[in-house]
Amino acid sequence: MTSIPRPARACAIPLAGQAAKRLIETLSFAAAALSLVMLALFATPQARAQGESSVIIGLISDKFPDTERALNELPASGLPTAPQIVEALAANRLYFNGPARKLYFADEAGKMFDAATGEPADVMASALKKVRINNAVRRSLDAARGALTLMSPDPDKRKAAADSVFKSRDATALPLLEAALAKETLASTRKILEEARAAIIAGDSGASDVQRLEAIEILKSRGDQDAVSVLTTIASWSEGRVKAAADSASSVIQAKLALWRNVQNIWYGLSLGSVLLLAAIGLAITFGVMGIINMAHGEMVMLGAYTTFAVQEWARTSHPGLLNYSLFIAIPLAFLVTAAVGILIERVVIRFLYGRPLETLLATFGISLILQQAVRTIFGANNREVSAPSFMAGSFDFGSLQIGYGRMWIIVFALAVFFALQFVLRATSFGLRMRAVTQNRRMASSMGIDTNRIDALAFGLGSGIAGMAGVALSQIDNVSPNLGQSYIIDSFMVVVFGGVGNLWGTLLGALTLGVANKFLEPIAGAVLGKILLLVFIILFIQKRPRGLFALKGRAVEA
Amino acid sequence: MPNRPHLWNWPTNPISTLWHACCTPLGTSLADGLQHTGPVLPVQPGNILEDAMSLTRRFMLRTAGAALGGALAFASPAAFAQGAGTIKVGILHSLSGTMAISETTLKDVMLMLIEEQNKKGGLLGKKLEPVVVDPASNWPLFAEKARELISKDKVSATFGCWTSVSRKSVLPVFEELNSILFYPVQYEGEESSKNIFYTGAAPNQQAIPAVDYLMENEKVQRWVLAGTDYVYPRTTNKILEAYLKSKGVKPEDIMINYTPFGHSDWQTIVADIKKFGSAGKKTAVVSTINGDANVPFYKELGNAGVKATDIPVVAFSVGEEELAGIDTKPLIGHLAAWNYFQSVENADNKAFIAKWRAFTKNEKRVTNDPMEAHVIGFNMWVKAVEKAGTTDTDAVLDAMIGVAVPNLTGGYSTMMPNHHITKPVLIGEVQGDGQFNTVWQTSGLVVGDEWSDYLEGSKDLISDWRKPLSCGNFNVKTGKCGGASK
Amino acid sequence: MMETRKPLLLSLIDTRGGIFLGLVAAATLLVPVLALMVPANSAFALPPYLVALFGKYVCYALLSIALDLVWGYCGILSLGHGAFFALGGYAMGMYLMRQIGTRGVYAHPELPDFMVFLNMKELPITWWGFQSFPYAMLMVLLIPGLLAFVFGFLAFRSRVTGVYLSIITQAMTYALLLAFFRNDMGFGGNNGLTDFKDILGFNVQAKETRVALFVASTLALGAGYLIARAVTQSKFGKVVIAIRDAESRTRFLGYRVETYKLCVFVLSAMMAGVAGALYVPQVGIINPGEFAPANSIEAVIWVAVGGRGTLVGAALGAIIVNWGKTFFTGALPEYWLFALGALFVIVTLFLPKGVIGALDQFKARRQAAKNSGAAAPTAAE
Repeated sequence: MTSIPRPARACAIPLAGQAAKRLIETLSFAAAALSLVMLALFATPQARAQGESSVIIGLISDKFPDTERALNELPASGLPTAPQIVEALAANRLYFNGPARKLYFADEAGKMFDAATGEPADVMASALKKVRINNAVRRSLDAARGALTLMSPDPDKRKAAADSVFKSRDATALPLLEAALAKETLASTRKILEEARAAIIAGDSGASDVQRLEAIEILKSRGDQDAVSVLTTIASWSEGRVKAAADSASSVIQAKLALWRNVQNIWYGLSLGSVLLLAAIGLAITFGVMGIINMAHGEMVMLGAYTTFAVQEWARTSHPGLLNYSLFIAIPLAFLVTAAVGILIERVVIRFLYGRPLETLLATFGISLILQQAVRTIFGANNREVSAPSFMAGSFDFGSLQIGYGRMWIIVFALAVFFALQFVLRATSFGLRMRAVTQNRRMASSMGIDTNRIDALAFGLGSGIAGMAGVALSQIDNVSPNLGQSYIIDSFMVVVFGGVGNLWGTLLGALTLGVANKFLEPIAGAVLGKILLLVFIILFIQKRPRGLFALKGRAVEA
Repeated sequence: MPNRPHLWNWPTNPISTLWHACCTPLGTSLADGLQHTGPVLPVQPGNILEDAMSLTRRFMLRTAGAALGGALAFASPAAFAQGAGTIKVGILHSLSGTMAISETTLKDVMLMLIEEQNKKGGLLGKKLEPVVVDPASNWPLFAEKARELISKDKVSATFGCWTSVSRKSVLPVFEELNSILFYPVQYEGEESSKNIFYTGAAPNQQAIPAVDYLMENEKVQRWVLAGTDYVYPRTTNKILEAYLKSKGVKPEDIMINYTPFGHSDWQTIVADIKKFGSAGKKTAVVSTINGDANVPFYKELGNAGVKATDIPVVAFSVGEEELAGIDTKPLIGHLAAWNYFQSVENADNKAFIAKWRAFTKNEKRVTNDPMEAHVIGFNMWVKAVEKAGTTDTDAVLDAMIGVAVPNLTGGYSTMMPNHHITKPVLIGEVQGDGQFNTVWQTSGLVVGDEWSDYLEGSKDLISDWRKPLSCGNFNVKTGKCGGASK
Repeated sequence: MMETRKPLLLSLIDTRGGIFLGLVAAATLLVPVLALMVPANSAFALPPYLVALFGKYVCYALLSIALDLVWGYCGILSLGHGAFFALGGYAMGMYLMRQIGTRGVYAHPELPDFMVFLNMKELPITWWGFQSFPYAMLMVLLIPGLLAFVFGFLAFRSRVTGVYLSIITQAMTYALLLAFFRNDMGFGGNNGLTDFKDILGFNVQAKETRVALFVASTLALGAGYLIARAVTQSKFGKVVIAIRDAESRTRFLGYRVETYKLCVFVLSAMMAGVAGALYVPQVGIINPGEFAPANSIEAVIWVAVGGRGTLVGAALGAIIVNWGKTFFTGALPEYWLFALGALFVIVTLFLPKGVIGALDQFKARRQAAKNSGAAAPTAAE
């Protein structure tokens, strides 16, 4: 083939397309409507009887391929109980009696029904076997669910259904999809439905090239990773114009996504930075402001995480309704618990060690060993389960960036803690006293400040903040006795990098290190990225021996 | 080759196994046992066939070697009237440090098994006495404690270690002082020591069947091999890479990713996996991520909405214990390959779970694969000691090979001459309650293959600790026993 | 060893040092006798596992002295001395790996097992020359020394001090930990180097070799002590101590503070490297875990427990803590961390100057009580 015809054709398509487009639109609509009418009028009675038996036989055969086939037939089978069967299967509530060839489902309350008729059935679930599912079945289930709920009165369900039809690209769902599209009024759901239809048509080798090209346009406008996935599949087995269009559409999307990847790195970096900030901010008080090399800081974080676990456990057993809000109880409680432990440590050990920072290292290291082993003895060495509340699960899309609610709330929480701490230090009398004591103990003392009390409270404050960090970290990391150990080194790096004794430095240090890490990771890999960052910190400290924000003045030398 | 033996169909009749394995001259016994076996498995787990072929070659050689050596230690338990005192059993599991998470449970299992055995009247008329030490997740300390157990406490056998490095650290000690170690965790293979019995899975007993399953049942064409950067994932991934390529998977359809120990921020990698998975081909992740790093990884998968129906993750280091620390609802359908699941339904397992819960006084305690490995290993050791009539290391080493004991999945596991055991392979899907739902399993047992056929350096090596070969790394090409492990 | 006492040497040895060196010499002589010549069933016989264990303690003691030299006398709190120790260990480990030769499981003539395993085709440059013992020993000194030189040159020149210095030394050892964990580095990744066979042609597992290694370790400890003592007692040492106590003043007096610090730091790193090199054949494994920041912190704790700035105390602290660890991990496996943690807390609270400091205090008090009689009691300090 020479290169000459190509531009000519490329010009011709839109011109010829315009005319054809309308015609095809009308035709396809008519065809879809017709097929629906046919489906409703003629085909049903017989198909129903057949579909019913074959669906139920498939479901009770207890073999995954049969279950899968039955599910594929289910939406079109017209079985009145189809929605309940699907829901029950998804929730592991579908039972069968093999020898009697009977299928039952239980409702949420555990009441049993005969799946063929929908009548209540007098059987015990324990006497029956459950219909097992695997991933393949689950996929069919999603597709069936999607097809069945396309017309649901609940807009969220319709949207989810449209999404799952988009993913399954099940051609048999097309008539239902068209019908749903005709009725849909919500613009956002309509868009997904159109995209789902486009995904089916673009992948339908029976459709005309014009139809498919049009569908590819729609997919292109969707412009996300899923669209790329559909487009590359289509390109892999299509040819000619369709292939070219699919390829170019996916490369356009890819290019856009590549740009978004930088935004994504920044977001991930901020998210990592917020975790570092949370872990380090308590240390910024105990180490940065009070000068205690607090090796037990990580254990305070751990205690906070275990408090969360304990609160959730309590909610689970005695107040299930509160489970979703347990974090709101855990945050203040973790603060109180760890602050109390902190004050205890300060009173018993650390107060004898002021002015000997290196010995605080020794003592707090010992304390950290004791706390770790204590937790191990009380709670066991295993990880403990901390569940995520519903408002922290899931994600939303911001452009092409997927933002997880969990990560977002952690960032918000970290900043809230930071600013609250700033407020306490800058705008309360306790903060004033604390700054006075750390700047000049004797002077503060002679002004009538009870330095002992302030020391204890300050250490308690730092520990309490670490405990609150533990609540947040329990959402993304292990809740185990080793939790603290994995953050202690990073925390020290952040505080030192930011500049000891400067909270703003800690904030900026944490975010800088987080973002830098996330930009290095795709290039160098996770391990090398981290090594490079450590080398960077070492070199940076040569350049600025007192961190990002150095304290100035005579206090430095003391 | 008169008849192609199918090794995964190990006879499940214990008496015949024992008879064949122990009471007939060895050369014939194992091969006979193999040929009598039941239905031939379809080509389902493709490689096992090849394994079997390579093992046939090995077996023929073993047969030749063993024909000279004659009978395995014959049982005469009454021969020794042992004096009073106790038999000491070493327990070498970390109770503090990073590995305590996993290993503490194994210590408890051992204590339970020993207590139970004592209730049954002990062993050889003596009580068993556990000696627990804490190697504190510190590898040199493992060697030191092993030395202490053997030299100072004079233990008859030791059950211990989790990580490969801890095993590597104690291996020279057990060889030098000639004592016995039972190692209960799945590992990378490429080792066979005279003094170590490997009751966990070798790569062919876990990784390869899992990949086969995904290929056949999920039609996976694109693979992410994600692991922690240490030897087990490196080796497993190397084996899998070679295996996948042999199955026609193109190099651009394989993505390999390594992360450091305890990696906790998985956002970038999960995003990469998502991107890799959107190339229009069915994609799966094979995870050899270790220990602590799994929890944040799974949490991130859940947060990023990677569902098992889109991109399934099959893990080799995630069991019931690990899942107990996660809310598994977003993870339903992700997979794990093991040789045992707590959810396996049979009377032995039910009894074991009940005993375990009573022992730990915790109705929610879960069981897992390495625990089962210790149960098998301990029962094998008991049987071998009874057979040998003594706890003398050399006699027990001889008696161990061919010992068969019930495993908890309803069959029998046998100690092979390469010091690895036969096991079924189970693939399970994570359920909402933190348990696994078995979706596939081998119809028979798979023999642990210590030297992988997919690695350049080891494909010609075999291990056979029966006399007169007594070699852990015999090179079938050169016909020489390689140097190190004698 | 004792015969070589010259006036200079004699001047280095105070009473405490004398006792210490005497004990070291006694161990050097007694251990071989008890381990090799006394029949194994005798009550005095020293089982080989104890020889290895004592050898390990002695290596830790040397590391502890090295750390005391920089921390106790120069005020540099290094939280990364474990890195120098581990590097020395790796250099020795690489030599031992090369000695395995064809006795590896894959029987490869040149490559260690893990390289065959990772499909490496040829020996990486970093491994060249390690088959030669003198070269390896040179590296034991050179590699930690070089790292300390580069690191110290940068850090001291920029006047990084106090906690900043401590934290970046920690960053250094942490970065090395991560780097050595990488299998691509070619040092065996997490499994490290293990299953050694021979050292200088002798089987490392033989009783005689173990005893010889023990003797080498005690000799190194004695030499290390004398060197550290010589440094601290010299004029050079006085400047170093001045730097510890008032860095700026010393600088203003015209001393090049950086050079002094750098010299002590490099010397100390080399001593740590030697300790590591002797440690590896005795414990039989070197793994990146030795770079773990917690290990370095522990070494600091040994010094603190024994008494900072006393050298003898540092060695004593290392032995006390590690003996405690050995004992408690066997005797109280579930609770030993409580015991160890409590030990650290108690030592800081009640023995701020370490065991040696407490002994001194005790002696001083008794002296005071004896002298004073009716006179006013003197201060305890």
